[in-house]
Amino acid sequence: MDAFVQDLIHYSPQILAGLKNTLLLMAIMSVTGIAGGIGLFYLSLAQNRFLRRGTERFISFFIGTPLLVHLFLMYYGLPPLGIRLSAFAVAVIGFTINVSAYNARYLMTAYNGLDKTQIEAARAQGFRFFQIFRLIILPQALRLSVPSLTNQVIQNLKDTSVAFLIQYPDFFAQMQEIASTNFQFFKTYVAAGLVYLALVSVIVAAARRLERKVALPGLETLGRA
Amino acid sequence: MALIDVQDLIKRFDGKEVLKGVTMSLSEGQSKVVMGASGCGKSTLLKCLNLLVSPTSGRIIFKGEDITRPDMDIHRLRQDIGFVFQHFALYTHLTVEENITLGLRKIKKMKTAAAREKAAFELERVGMIEHRNKYPAHLSGGQKQRAAIVRALAMDPAVLFLDEPTSALDPQMSREVVTVINKLYLDNITMLCVTHDPFLAKYISDSIVFMHEGVVVAEDVAERLFYEHEDPRVRQFYLSVIDHR
Amino acid sequence: MTFGNILIILAKGAGYTILVTLAGIGAGLAVGLLIAVLQTTKVKAVQLLLAAYTFVFRSIPLLVLLFIVFFGLPGMGIRIPPFLSMVLCLGLVSGAYLAEIFRGAMAAVSRDEITAAEAMGMKRVQIFFYIIWPQMFRMAVPGMVNEFTSVLKYTPFAYTVGIPEIMKEAMSLAALTLRGLEIYLAVGIIYYLIYKAFVLLFETLEKRFRIPGLAGE
Repeated sequence: MDAFVQDLIHYSPQILAGLKNTLLLMAIMSVTGIAGGIGLFYLSLAQNRFLRRGTERFISFFIGTPLLVHLFLMYYGLPPLGIRLSAFAVAVIGFTINVSAYNARYLMTAYNGLDKTQIEAARAQGFRFFQIFRLIILPQALRLSVPSLTNQVIQNLKDTSVAFLIQYPDFFAQMQEIASTNFQFFKTYVAAGLVYLALVSVIVAAARRLERKVALPGLETLGRA
Repeated sequence: MALIDVQDLIKRFDGKEVLKGVTMSLSEGQSKVVMGASGCGKSTLLKCLNLLVSPTSGRIIFKGEDITRPDMDIHRLRQDIGFVFQHFALYTHLTVEENITLGLRKIKKMKTAAAREKAAFELERVGMIEHRNKYPAHLSGGQKQRAAIVRALAMDPAVLFLDEPTSALDPQMSREVVTVINKLYLDNITMLCVTHDPFLAKYISDSIVFMHEGVVVAEDVAERLFYEHEDPRVRQFYLSVIDHR
Repeated sequence: MTFGNILIILAKGAGYTILVTLAGIGAGLAVGLLIAVLQTTKVKAVQLLLAAYTFVFRSIPLLVLLFIVFFGLPGMGIRIPPFLSMVLCLGLVSGAYLAEIFRGAMAAVSRDEITAAEAMGMKRVQIFFYIIWPQMFRMAVPGMVNEFTSVLKYTPFAYTVGIPEIMKEAMSLAALTLRGLEIYLAVGIIYYLIYKAFVLLFETLEKRFRIPGLAGE
C-alpha cells in the first residue's frame, strides 16, 4: 500500500479527533451566530437612534476587520492582563461575534426588501414593536435570507481552519502536524482540501432541501451573497 | 428591381412551422405594413429578414444578393437595416445622444463630433433635441420610441424595420409615434412595419400585407384591404382590432 | 511606547497589506471576468469545467489553498515566491466568487438591448464591450465591494508565508513588548480604516458613474 495512505490510516484517530473539533466549532458558531445575528438585527431596528447607530458601527467594524485579528487580540492580548481563555473559548467568542455581524447584515438586506405596508398594518392593528418583529418581520426576513445564511454556514466551516493559527486542534491543525512529520506536504494538504470539499457538498445538499422546505409563495429568496 | 425579395420562406421552431412559404417584396422608397393576428408569423418574418432568426428554407434577396447563403456577412447586412423594437430596447447605461452615436462611432467609425452633429440633426427632426442628455429611465414611452427610431435612422439604413412600434404605448403616446413615422413615410423612407394597429398601418403604408397562419393571404392598399376585401379572414381581423381600440 | 507609536510602527506594514489586497483584487477580477465570459459559451464541457472550478475554489478554505501552493507545490518541483503565492490564491478564490457575481449581473442586462445591438450589426465583442460590460459592472458593485472586503480580510494569512504585512509586524512587536492587547487593537483599527477607505472609494466611484434605472440590487 502507498506509504501516504498508510500514514493517514496510522494517524486516523488524530484526524478524526480534529474533524470532530472542526465540526463542533462550526456547529456552535452556526447556532450562536444566528442567535447573535437576530439580536443585532433587532437592535439595528431600535427606536433609539444611538442604539441603532451603535449597533450599525459594531456590525460594520466586525465586517471590516479580519477574524484573525479578533482571535489574536483575545488569545495573545488578554493573558498579560491576567485573563487566560482557552483556544476553544476564544474561537467560539470570536467566531460568534463575526458570524453574528454578517447574519445581521443579511437579515437587514432582507428586511429592506420587505413590503413595509405590512408593518403599518400590524401597527394599526395594535401590535407592539417586539410583537411585530417576532411575528411579522423575523419570519419573512429569515426566510428571505436562507440562501445567505446557509452560505454563511459554508463560510463557517471554511473559517474554522483559521482556528489552527491559535493552536486550536482542529482538522487542519492535525493535517498540518502530519505533513510536518511525513514531509508529504502536497499530498496531505490536498487531502485536507478534498475533505473540506466533501463537507461543503453535504452542507450544500442540506441547504437546498431547507430552501425548498421554507419557501413561501410570493416571497422569493434573495440572490446568494 | 426590388430592394427585398422574399421567396417561399419557411421557418420551423422545434418542428412547428411558423412561416409556411412566405413570398413578398419591397421596393426602394416603398413602405409596407405586415398585419395579422398574434401568432401569424409576422414578427418572425421581420426577424428572418435581418437574420436575427435564421430561416429554415427559402430565399431572401436583399440588394440583389441572397442573404440566406451560409457565408453571408450578417454584420454588414444588419448595418443596412434599421430595426425598431416594440419595447424600445434603448441602452439603459447610455443617454439618448449616446444611444444614437454609439453605432455611428463604433460601427460606422464616424468621428465623435460628426456623430453628435448627425444625432442632433436627426433628434431635431423628431422633436427630441431637448432630451438628448437624458437617460432612458427619465423618458416617457413615446419619447423612448422616438429616440429608438432616431437611433435606427441615424445609421442611414437602406430600409427601416419596425416591429410593433406602438403596441407598448398608451393611445396618447402612440399618436406621437405615429406622427413621427408618418413623417418618415412622407419623406419616402423605405419601411417595413409589423403591427396590428390599423391606425398606424393606414398612415404609414403604400400597401398592407396580410398574413394568416404563416402565409400571405392578401396584399392591397389600406382602404381596399380594410373595407372591401373579399377574404372574410381579413375583414374579421380588421373588425377585431378596431373593436380593441 | 504610546498607542500612537504602535499605530505608526504597524502602519508601515499596511503598505504590504494594501499591495497584497490590490494585487489580489486585480487577479480576482481577471479570473472572474474570464470565467464569466467563458460561461456565455454554449459548449457543455466548458460550462461543466467552469462550474467545477467555482465549486472547488469556493469550497476549499483559503488558508488550506495557500498551504497547498506555498508548502505543497515545492515538493512537486514548483516553487512560487510568497507574494505571488498569496496573490495567486486570492485570485483563484475571489475569482470564483466574482464570476458568480458577474454572471448574475450579466443575466440582468436586458435581452432586448442585446438583440437591438445585434440588429444594429454589432459583433459579439462589441456587444460585450459597449452594451453588456458597462451595465454589468454597475450592477455588480455591491457584490464586488463585498468580495473585495473579503480579499482585504484574508490578507493577514500572508504572515504564514512570511510576507511582512501588518499581522507579521504586529506579531514581532507583540513578542518584543508583551503588549498584545494594544497592538492587536491597533491592527484592528488600521484594518478598519483601510476597509472604510475602500468602501468610501467605491461609493464615490459608484456615485460618479451612477445611471438612472441602473443600480446594484
